[in-house]
Amino acid sequence: MLVSDLRKEFYDVIKGKRILVLVHSDIDGICASKILQSLFRADHILYTVVPVKTRSDLVSAFEQHREQARYFLLLNCGGCLDLVDVLSPPEDVKIFVADNHRPLDVCNIYNGDQVRILSQLGEDEEVPAFEDVFREEESEDEDEDSDEEDGKRRRFDEETLERRRARRQWHQQRHKIIFDYTQFSYYGSSTAMLMFDLAWKLSKDNNELLWWAIVGVTEGQVFERTEQDRCVLATGTLQGHVSRLNHQTQDSQPLDCLRITFEKELKLALYRHWSLVESMRHSLYASTTLKLWTLRGEKRLQELLAEMGLPLVQCRQLYSGMDVNLRQDLRSLLEEKSEKYGLPDLLFPSFSASRGFRIKVGSADYVYSAAALLEPPQKDITPTAAALDVADCLAVGREEVLERGIEGSKQQLSAIYRQVQTFLDMNQVISAGPFLYATVIQGTPDAWFFSAPHCLTLLARFTLRAHVSVSRGRKSGALPLVLTSPDVRAAQPDTCLVCGIPPTSEDSRRNFFGKAFEQAAEKTASRAELEFFDTNIIRLSVDDRSKFFDALISLLS
Amino acid sequence: MDSIEIEFLAEKAPVTIVPNFTHDKLYLISGDVGPFTAGLPVDIPLWLGINLRQRGKCRLVAPEWMDVEKLTEIKEEEKQSKVFTQMPCEHYLIVTQLLLSSAPEDIPNAQQIKTLVKDIWDLRISKLRSSVAEFIESEGTHATLDRLTLLEINSVRPFLPHAFDQLHRISKSAHGSNLSQTTQDIQY
Repeated sequence: MLVSDLRKEFYDVIKGKRILVLVHSDIDGICASKILQSLFRADHILYTVVPVKTRSDLVSAFEQHREQARYFLLLNCGGCLDLVDVLSPPEDVKIFVADNHRPLDVCNIYNGDQVRILSQLGEDEEVPAFEDVFREEESEDEDEDSDEEDGKRRRFDEETLERRRARRQWHQQRHKIIFDYTQFSYYGSSTAMLMFDLAWKLSKDNNELLWWAIVGVTEGQVFERTEQDRCVLATGTLQGHVSRLNHQTQDSQPLDCLRITFEKELKLALYRHWSLVESMRHSLYASTTLKLWTLRGEKRLQELLAEMGLPLVQCRQLYSGMDVNLRQDLRSLLEEKSEKYGLPDLLFPSFSASRGFRIKVGSADYVYSAAALLEPPQKDITPTAAALDVADCLAVGREEVLERGIEGSKQQLSAIYRQVQTFLDMNQVISAGPFLYATVIQGTPDAWFFSAPHCLTLLARFTLRAHVSVSRGRKSGALPLVLTSPDVRAAQPDTCLVCGIPPTSEDSRRNFFGKAFEQAAEKTASRAELEFFDTNIIRLSVDDRSKFFDALISLLS
Repeated sequence: MDSIEIEFLAEKAPVTIVPNFTHDKLYLISGDVGPFTAGLPVDIPLWLGINLRQRGKCRLVAPEWMDVEKLTEIKEEEKQSKVFTQMPCEHYLIVTQLLLSSAPEDIPNAQQIKTLVKDIWDLRISKLRSSVAEFIESEGTHATLDRLTLLEINSVRPFLPHAFDQLHRISKSAHGSNLSQTTQDIQY
């Protein structure tokens, strides 16, 4: 059931009751859960938060806690599964779902009572009509009964045949509609933004909650999950809130308050915490446009820096060590030169937060840091601890967690860059007909980084863009990429993670790999685990890899 | 008395809030707290105000003495005068600290106010300490200090009577030894 008024149908219902929150280990979900936690604390609502990573995690967490609460909230997980089927909740349990994965399962949307969907569906998301998908099954029994009646069999036969034909046709139609609906998977608007709206309606919003909503929305931008126009809309709404909550000048506010500013930001990853040259090398956009892994690319970079008048020595130092005048002029200098070097989108509107005398941190920096904390390079951190780390880094007064995340993110980005360099130097990005294909070789030392969904997706995007920028033909721009990497973090040996991303030339971020992987796995009976909520990533056994890919090729061509 | 106890006493001070909810009169043990109407200011005890603010149910209004000009005037007066001046509120430091820690955004010019209140506190404490030192040196028997607040008195309370006890003991034993010396002289 779709919920239209969050306040009346969700918040007022759970006031005074105990609620269990199952949150997906992604940044948007954790931000949304933090916003909700502060609301729950203000209203003395008892809650438990459990981070989950895969479908089996969700089911086992539900089993564990099913006695404890009557109300469950699923954040960014479970929207695309038939929840009543998968979780089999008891009769009086109500499940609220706020999921930014689309398409939402039709059984969840049309469930009358137990499943309530809090996410708002956009105008361009079409849900199949109820009549097309569900049909009362009693007519079947009636037909069977009338078959047994003796008497004027012939007339009944005709009618039954007619009904049977209509039913068959309806089933075929239904199959087609469902297939079209679930073929492409994409992302809707951010859940953290939804929760901030709820807080605003309850007039409990403040700068902290707004910052968490901003980080949740920025995750969609950084990982390129949301489409461009939706991004612009979300940024516009957030800017309204920022100016409402931050309109007082610096002097009248105490210095240790959080201040959020809206400004044009450079699309360089972590440039404030790294040196300028390093950050350019490791950012997706700048690196792939300037082709910084080639010798010519390096020369162009040095040309660009020289033209802007930035001394090379300073560009190689930490950003905070650069001259203050240079730092202030950096944005305008880059903007001037961006046209000439083919970097038109280098500046994008974004938010940054400053507190007291610390340096400003951008929302994209928070996203990179949180992504690194979720998939830590240390082997002894459990997924739950990692998710709690992310929650910590967003909290006030825990800057050391943010620093740790930024260091981890630098390691991740360097590993991605090295791998992309290997791919391109050794021409390991092969065209397999309907898509491009790349494998991270078993035994690469950096494979530890890539056995995690976020990092793997970043690597895939970097590889695809880099390949498109160096390849001569026009065709590679229209081909999607499938990337596999050995899964060294998994419990079972000899598994690999497979990730598929849409081509760069398309603007829409709709991804058909979820359905494609599922069908290929079925056809070849491979040992594949479609465990993740981001359906474009699956875990596959290494032995089945080749037949899986053959099936995939035949499916997509 | 502990400073914690004084803070507890200070939390009874009235403060004005602007609630964002509506509720009838609350009948509490320490007194009735008036009906709440969203958007209209109402006076309530400080402890309740801080709790409601933390739950996001109200906005705090700075007391009228918590203003940059007034506090600067008070500070100047305190600097000029040799004795203590009257403070606008008995528990000025505690109220400032509690208000600014829970709702810094509601109080305008919070940074300057914090600095001014701290300056006033430092001035008064230094005056108190120098007058205590003078008192001990002059070996007087009693002294009167007007217009001191409870927290300031409490800062010298553990030290001052104890110190005088020790001095008394030392002077008694010195006097006693004087007596025994004179008796010894008489014996010779």
